[in-house]
Amino acid sequence: MKALIRFFVRHRILILFIFLESLSLFLVVKHNQIQRTSFLNSSNALAGNIYQMSNSVSEYFSLEQVNHSLAKENTELKQRLSQVEEELRFLKQDSSYQGRKEMAIQKKYSFVTAKVINASYNKHKNYLTLDKGALDGMKVEMGVVNDLGVVGIVSSVSDHFSVVLPILNPLSSISVKLKGESKSGFLVWDGRDSETALLQEMPRYVKAAVGDTVVTSGYSSIFPEGIPVGRVKYVKRTNDDNYYMEVTLAADFSQLSYVDAMAFDNLDEEQELENQNLQKMEGGKK
Amino acid sequence: MMDILLRRGGSFVLFVLLQVLVLNNILFYGFINPYLYILFLITLPSNLSRSTFLLIGFIMGLLVDIFSGTPGCHASACVLLCYLIPYLQNLFGPRSDHSSNVQPSFKTYGSGGFMQYAVILVVIHHFFFLLVEDGSLSDILWVLLKTLFSSIFTIMMIWILEMIKSKN
Repeated sequence: MKALIRFFVRHRILILFIFLESLSLFLVVKHNQIQRTSFLNSSNALAGNIYQMSNSVSEYFSLEQVNHSLAKENTELKQRLSQVEEELRFLKQDSSYQGRKEMAIQKKYSFVTAKVINASYNKHKNYLTLDKGALDGMKVEMGVVNDLGVVGIVSSVSDHFSVVLPILNPLSSISVKLKGESKSGFLVWDGRDSETALLQEMPRYVKAAVGDTVVTSGYSSIFPEGIPVGRVKYVKRTNDDNYYMEVTLAADFSQLSYVDAMAFDNLDEEQELENQNLQKMEGGKK
Repeated sequence: MMDILLRRGGSFVLFVLLQVLVLNNILFYGFINPYLYILFLITLPSNLSRSTFLLIGFIMGLLVDIFSGTPGCHASACVLLCYLIPYLQNLFGPRSDHSSNVQPSFKTYGSGGFMQYAVILVVIHHFFFLLVEDGSLSDILWVLLKTLFSSIFTIMMIWILEMIKSKN
């Protein structure tokens, strides 16, 4: 017993070193496994507030660009509004059964506008922090877009802040397709260039050319169909059935300011139904 | 005593904030990121107990982690760094009086000695951190490249800061 105690006292530094090192590496592993909220990311109160303070200073430097993009978005919205009014007038005249049915099927999405208070785009694993949290209606798995295109997916939420897993993170994978085609693939990032991502599992029978627009597929309920993601930058035929495709991203991750988080209003209901179905199928197997 | 503690605490906070608010946003060619905050750790005086060294390193690393969204990566690299610092201080520090309180700097180590001491620690820290952040050995060449370039920038910043300090 004495020898044991003496051993511990003699090697106390090494033991403390091993303990702290294992604790750190445990945190690394745990964080990589579950991207859900933990108090050790920038959605916690201390980090969130300091980032907000820092952002309230630095946002003055980009006001001109923000104004510019807001004005542009404004005009686009006005155009869309006039289009919609036109369609509405048309629909009132011709309230055929088919028209009404299509209106009803349209998925309803609700939006939360948030400001990006911290963003990285030059790391291996990038994250964004937004200034809206659960109290403002943010939820995990909401899709995040800005006026240029898809930004990412909300990965964790606290009361006042939330963290987004952007496309620029190897853990992110978004279901996308080429505009006008129906076959979908996955958009992933290889950790190199903050303007380029890879489109995977796009079979070679799909027609693809440099310059084609890449949009969300709408097969998952996170994003509605047809939101721009980027343009095809490079296509190569490989030996297997799929293309090797590089995509220039539409959103400029080095200059994010305001983003919209969107949630399909009946997301919970849909997920519950899918889970029930999954359980039933697993039960059936047994 | 209280005075020294306050000054140390102040520079601790300053280094962490400088790292997370300014340096983490610096971008050279998309992947070069200096990690200057470890200068605080490598200039801690030699009369600190080794367990205090380890705990300070762990807390500092964890704080930077919390802000960077990389839980554990900086902490593990800093703990390793603080485990190694006393050995290197014995190696490069002035040999004459062991028990006295020596703070690593150009004055006490000589500019060449201090830079050798700093380069070894910076490279070890950066390599370990980038390896843990990457999380796999498959991209080892990419990690080595990032280590090389980020280290160069950190070392240049350390050299400039220590130059200014020694002039005053």
